[in-house]
Amino acid sequence: MSSKRHSILPAVSAGPKPPVRFSSSITIADSALLTGTNLITISTESVIHPRAKLDSLAGCITIGRRCVVHERTTLGAIGTSGKVTEQAVTLGDYVTVEVAASIEAGNTIIGEGTTVGVGARIGAGAFIGKHCTLTPHTEIRAGEVVPDFTVVYSNGMRRMDKRGVADLKNKGQARQIDVLRRMIPSNPAKFT
Amino acid sequence: MSRRPPRGEYIETDTGNKVARKATLVGTQNIMLGGKTVIQPEVMIRGDLIRSIQSSSSSSSSATPNNTAVAIGRYCFLSRASCLRPPGRLYKGAFTYMPLRIGDHVFVGPSSVIQAASIGNHVHIGARVVVGEFAIIKDYVRVLDETVIPPNMVIPSFSIVAGQPARVIGEVPEGGHEAFELRELYKTVGNNPPPAAA
Repeated sequence: MSSKRHSILPAVSAGPKPPVRFSSSITIADSALLTGTNLITISTESVIHPRAKLDSLAGCITIGRRCVVHERTTLGAIGTSGKVTEQAVTLGDYVTVEVAASIEAGNTIIGEGTTVGVGARIGAGAFIGKHCTLTPHTEIRAGEVVPDFTVVYSNGMRRMDKRGVADLKNKGQARQIDVLRRMIPSNPAKFT
Repeated sequence: MSRRPPRGEYIETDTGNKVARKATLVGTQNIMLGGKTVIQPEVMIRGDLIRSIQSSSSSSSSATPNNTAVAIGRYCFLSRASCLRPPGRLYKGAFTYMPLRIGDHVFVGPSSVIQAASIGNHVHIGARVVVGEFAIIKDYVRVLDETVIPPNMVIPSFSIVAGQPARVIGEVPEGGHEAFELRELYKTVGNNPPPAAA
């Protein structure tokens, strides 16, 4: 491989360029994909990894403070219902959306501090409570309500998370974001 | 007159690595490929998530010797749409990523996500597998399709692992070691694969 190139990123065709409202302290990778026609809001100190896809065709996307959105995720994918609402996807503060997760559009709300595991699929209009943990490959059907502090694991089983570590998780996330901000070259100007 | 060969799907390096043009490799200086490794299209390797804590102060050196994010051995095969990602954790009060080390003859199935700390030699990982952060997979392990390996799990050698969460469901039989060799598979991939034997 040529030593001058820093990454091999094949170009991906994008859709319409959406209106965005970024906070000044976010980290958004150059190869994140923002498409759609509605507003995308990303609040303070959130991190968007390369190749994350934010699609606001079906409504606005709001990402809270100190969220981490990993690569290959799709926020705002149009699900089977295909409805267009005003607010497609809302992420609370301190949410982590892990690799290849997909969150469908249609008033889907993810509460504060929740971790959406690798490859998880969240249907349209679902309401996920605060500080939940969705383990990898879990599927939340459309319109489902997951109460606060729930852990959803293999094949839809649920249990309550009684560890009481919500505060520590938030602090840990803040430290993680500190490190990520230095590692991922941010390019918000490309999207505004 | 010689014609330029058509642009193939794979880039072949001198050490025999076959990297697809459509694979996404971020931070390639920190990715070490052992040789004769195949990387199929749509694979994503995050080489930019390097260790952020250095044991000695390295403010003067520009090229620290040990900046590897992902180290892959020989004859590995990364199938389509898989994702290799270094695991990260809070270490001594600060968040840092640790290197992901993969041994030789490792087959990673399509759409798998690997965030392990280390994977041994001759490991076969199925499709859509999720290997959690800091998991350790020893040698000659077969991970079946759609397994979810939770973080920090250690999988002993010669085991067969399946389920969500992953459990050891069996052992690799005595004569089963040959099935893990990937030399034949390496030869079938590339711009000019040899014709299949009649």
